[in-house]
This record gives sequence, C-alpha cells and structure tokens, in this order.
Amino acid sequence: MKNREDIAGFAWISPWIVGFLAFLALPIGMSLYYSFTDYSLLEKPLWVGLENFKALVNDPVFWIVMKNTVIYAAISIPLGTALAIFIAVLLHQPVRGTSLFRAAIFVPTLVPMVASAMVWMWLLNGELGLINQTLRPVLGVVGLSPPNWLSEKLFAMPALIFMSLWSVGQSVMIYLAALKDVPPSLYEAADLDGVGPVGRFFTVTLPMISPVVLFNVIIATIGSWQVFAIPYVMTKGDPDRATLFYSMYLYDNAFVFGPKMGYASALAWVQFLIILALTGLTMLASRRLVYYRAN
Amino acid sequence: MSEPTTSSEALQHHSRRAVIGAMAAAGLGYAVFGPRAAKESPGGRLVLDYWEKWSGHEALAMEKVVKAFNDSQDRIYVRFFTMTAIDQKAMITIAGGDPPDVIGLWSRSISPFAESGALVPLDDLASAAGVKQDHYAGPVWELMQFQGKTWGLPNTCSTIGFYWNRTIFKDAGLNPDVGPRTIEELDQVARKLTVTEPSGGMSRLGFVQTEPGWWPHIWGPTFGGNLYDAKMDRATPRDPRVVQAYDWVQSYPTAYGIDNLRRFGGGLGNYDSPTQPLLAGKVAMSVHGPFLVNVIQRYKPDFDYGAAPFPVPEDIYKENEPRGLLEADVMVIPKGCKSPEASMEFIAFTQRREWVEMMAKAHCKPSPLAESGKEFLASHPHRYIGEHEKIVRSPGAFATPKTRTWAEYDEEIRSAMNRIWDQGQPVETVMASIEQRINQRLDEARIRRERRSGGKAKA
Repeated sequence: MKNREDIAGFAWISPWIVGFLAFLALPIGMSLYYSFTDYSLLEKPLWVGLENFKALVNDPVFWIVMKNTVIYAAISIPLGTALAIFIAVLLHQPVRGTSLFRAAIFVPTLVPMVASAMVWMWLLNGELGLINQTLRPVLGVVGLSPPNWLSEKLFAMPALIFMSLWSVGQSVMIYLAALKDVPPSLYEAADLDGVGPVGRFFTVTLPMISPVVLFNVIIATIGSWQVFAIPYVMTKGDPDRATLFYSMYLYDNAFVFGPKMGYASALAWVQFLIILALTGLTMLASRRLVYYRAN
Repeated sequence: MSEPTTSSEALQHHSRRAVIGAMAAAGLGYAVFGPRAAKESPGGRLVLDYWEKWSGHEALAMEKVVKAFNDSQDRIYVRFFTMTAIDQKAMITIAGGDPPDVIGLWSRSISPFAESGALVPLDDLASAAGVKQDHYAGPVWELMQFQGKTWGLPNTCSTIGFYWNRTIFKDAGLNPDVGPRTIEELDQVARKLTVTEPSGGMSRLGFVQTEPGWWPHIWGPTFGGNLYDAKMDRATPRDPRVVQAYDWVQSYPTAYGIDNLRRFGGGLGNYDSPTQPLLAGKVAMSVHGPFLVNVIQRYKPDFDYGAAPFPVPEDIYKENEPRGLLEADVMVIPKGCKSPEASMEFIAFTQRREWVEMMAKAHCKPSPLAESGKEFLASHPHRYIGEHEKIVRSPGAFATPKTRTWAEYDEEIRSAMNRIWDQGQPVETVMASIEQRINQRLDEARIRRERRSGGKAKA
C-alpha cells in the first residue's frame, strides 16, 4: 500500500516535478555550463574555462554595478525594515479607521511596477514634479533650489532608494500579523515592571517579532540584489551609470551587447553566490539576534 | 489514502477515478492530437510568418503590403505579427531553431546577426528575384552590406535633420525660410532665440544637444569625424573631429549654466504629446528625424516648421553633400526559415516602388530608392521631405559603425555624454576612457572570432 501511495503522490506532483526539471533545474545547470563558455546565443557555446570570470574582475562597469547595488541594498533594506516595523506598530494601535490605513499602506504594492515607475518619474520631475513643487518654496527661503532628482548623479540613487519605500506595504502586513501574535501577558508583565512604551518595544515587541524581521530582511536582500524593473524604466542606469544595477548589467550583456550569454551567465552565478553568502551571513547573525519562542 | 469500506464508497471511489482518468486522457489527447500552428493555409499555400517591430500606424501600413502580397498570388500566405523587443526575440527563436520566415529589424542589427551566422545572405536570392543594387540609393545599399555580402533589403529609411520653429524665427527678425547652415551660425541663432527669465532660468532655449537626446553618437560624424576604423577594427573616439564635436557639446552647459539647463530639461514634455518641446515653443530649433512631422500632424497641424540638414562646421560645409545619420528598417531572412526562396519572393514584392513609397509616406520618411518620383514628393505629408532625401543620396550620409560591439560603444557614448555635459570632465579624457574600453571589447571579439575559426579570422 505504501508503494501505491507513493506512486499516486508522485503522479499528482509530477507536473510540478517536470516543470521544475525542465524550466528551473535544467536552465540553472545550463547557465552554469554557459558561464564557462563563449556563448552568443546564436553560435554554439565554446569552452573558455574561467575566462568570463577573469574578464568580470577586470571589467570596470562590473565594479560600478557592484558598488551601486551594495549601496542600494545597504540603505534601502534597513530603511525599509525600520519604516515597515514603525508603520506596523502604528497600525497595530486600536484607533478608529485602522482598516482604511492598512488598505492605504498595502495598495501601492498592488500597482504594477511599471505604472509605479511612471508615476514616480513625474513626482520626481525636476521642474514640474510634485516633490520639487513642494520643496521649492521651502528651500527658497534659505536660497536653495531642489535638485533634478533623476538626472543628477548625486541625487538619482537617493531618489530610487526613497522610491523603494513606496512598496513596504507587504512587509507591513507580515509585521502586523506577527505583532498580533505577541502574547499580551508579556506586555502586562512589562507594565507591572514599569517599562515605558519605547522600552516595551525593544524588550518585548522586537524580540518577539524577530523571526519575522529575519524573514523580511532575507527577502529584501534577495530583492535588492535583483532590482531591475523600476530603475530600468525610470533611469535606464543614467546618469553616467549612477543607477545601473547588477541585474540591469546582466540583462544588457545577455540580450543587448552582442549578446554575450556566457559572460551574462558568469555574472548570474556571481550574483547567486553573493546572495547565498549574504543569506548565510544573515542566518549566522540571527543565531544571536533572533528569539524563537519554541526555544 | 484509505480503502473504500462500503459499496457506496467504492462506487464513489471508482467514479472519481473514472472522471480523473477521463480528464487526464482528454488532456493528453489534446496535447498529442490538438490544433497545431498552420503550416499550409488557405488552399494549400505555404504559410510564412513575418515579424514586424513597429506597432501603430507604421504597422498598419506594413499590414497593407502583406495583404496585397497575399492577394497577388496563390502559392504563399504571409502571416503578420507585430513584436516588441524584436531583436532579442528573433535571436532566441533563431537559436532555438524555430524562427519566423522574415524579420523586420534595424540596419544596425545586421552586423551582430550576420556575424553570428543567424541570417541568410541575400545576394543570390535577390538577384534571382530581380532585385538589383541600382534600385536603391547608394548609401542605403551600403547599409545592407556586411563583410562583402547583402543581408537585408530596406523597408523604410530615415535620416536625421534639423528642425526649427518658423514663427519664433519671424518674431526674432530672422529669415524663417533659411535655417543656420553652419555650427557657428547655429550657435549665434541659438543665443539670439534663448529667452532668459529675471530669475536666471530660461523659458526658451534656442537649441540644446540633449533634446531629444536620442542620438548622442551623431555629433562626431556630424563634425566630419569617424567613431570607428573598420579596416583596423579600432574605435576612434579620439579622432580630433570627434573631440571637437564634444567640445562644442560641452560649450552649451558652459555658456548657459548646467543648473539652468538641468532645470529647463526637467520641464520639457514628452515626444509623442502636445508638449513636445519644439511644438510647445520651449526650444526654437531641434535635431530630429522626419517622423517628427507625424507628431506635428497629430497634435498641432498648423505648426509652422522649417527643416534642413543639420548644420556642420564652416570648413566642411558643402551645399550638395549634406551630412546626417542614415538608418533603415530592414527585412532579413533568418537561418532555419522554411523556404528562403519564398521569403525572398515576399521581400521582393515589398521592394516594388509603389509599396516602398507608400511605406515611406506612412512612416513620414524619405524613400530608400535611387530616385523619387515627383508624385511621391508632391503627395508626401512632410513638406520638406526633399531635405531628408538629399541626405539619403549624399556622400555625407553616415551610419552607425558596423561592428558587433556597437551596442556597447553606443552605451559608452551615452554614459560619456553625462560626464561631458553634467560634470564638465575634459572631453579628451572621457574619449580616452571610451577608446580603451571599446578597443578592449573589440580585441575580445577578435579573439572570439579567431577561436571559432581556428585562428584564421581577420579583424
């Protein structure tokens, strides 16, 4: 009977297994092979050993996209995490209209990325954008004028990081669910000990939701290292590659420059290894920082 | 899973199995015997697939040609598909061995596709179909060539020229019938037509190189320079003429102030809109293609514009040899298509004068043919199409370099424009960095070619 059950089980999940092997495992394996070849998509791959990886180290644009992606991830992840927790804590308070606020925070995540990008291009427009229309009279008082956000090298990256906060709604909903799960008895104990609201947040709330923070940070890390659609639509990497991110350069090499699918595959595998290492490091750090109730 | 215990449960169990089995069988049957993409239809014709990169009115014009071809004979039936990101999708289908039969690409796509062996050379096929070189303007035919072979035939072609707002010219006391001929004149007129506000900002610019900013690579060749030495397979962005051109580009932010230009640029409208900067009077003069007239007709048909070839430095100005970027939409036959002869028959049909001129008028572009008829020029929606036609047939017409590395080169120049324009970096330094990077890429490409041909490939 056990065998029959196994066969039935495998039969039912076979579409997924076939899909996984054909559309995920095989392409992943092929890309690993291509990363060691000279492959233009239109010609047969030619084995070149580590040449693509060596070229990558000597490619100045590779280091530019690495720097840009690290800066983007290093700022947007902590900023997005802090903001999402802050909003979740606010939305967790028993005030009137909470549902409306929750919906308002979540709705931006439902807007297609390209549509969001178009809206933000207008918001950040140097001359006509709402942001600068608001800032102009304020900065004018001290004799300053607001920047041309997307076309000045110094401000393009901060503008994209700022924009990334637009979609914190999904994390907020996950934090809200975690906050509901914190036992009220812990807050009551903290109250009895005379702990104030800030103290309660750091000694009760944060430790209790720390597994969820870990999950969101890992997801955000992966997302930040793969950021593509928004900068591709809004800046195309301009000005002077100030907003050219890793995935954009990978795409350019895979489909625009030549194409150079072998080189792009090498880039993809380096990206994968970086994300894997960062996830591993985060998990390692979580051993000391994350509290699991089951423990 | 538990065994059924009663007869009712057993019946239910078997019924469920029967339904699932029937569904699985139906799915399998559909997958194996279901409908397939038609290979022959209607009336037993050979079916060809044509991929078109344009959408909108440009695609509708091509669809008319396809319909006319299908109606003209009973052996071949062409199916028309519009496709975004066509070059990438074409590469993937060719690599996968299931390409369409004819693809509408850009002339700049010929070298990367041809060098990869993705296209069928057309010399013999075109000759057999009666398509001859003397049918086309010389520079257009040259666009179709790569490594001594013909790889495509033009669908339409386009040249980049110079446009001005005649009303602004009149108001400023300038002759609206004649635009500046030289760069020196352009700079003078640009200064005269720029309107500065008391705050220091500008409400109108005479001219600015970054509007629309689609062709940052044209300035060097416009000044008579070369970006690429095809014989030596070397990038030459340090050609003195190229450096001179970008020095001129840099003179604008120096003269008008980069902050003013940035602010001004931020307020400019989109191309396909009533706020297109030339139409809206935000800039008085602009570098543009003839297709701008489609936008004019759509949003401001009474807009009074002038057009001519783009001004050049005084020392290279020749009235009968205007300079300008020449590009073309090309029809190519991918390797692995069903029947190259049938594909060529369709392409040859599209090359007939009546269809070429119909397409040119629909796209609002000049004709790629050796000569244009009076009727074509008289009925063209662009009142100055003759100016673009002059560039098509001029020895001063220039194309993008025919190298597989061009996409990266173009990207380097685009990025460099910012360093030259916004950051005021010395042009010579910027060009030296481009030269180093692109020549390294060209070397890598040469090594690849040599490796693939067993060390026999030449630059």
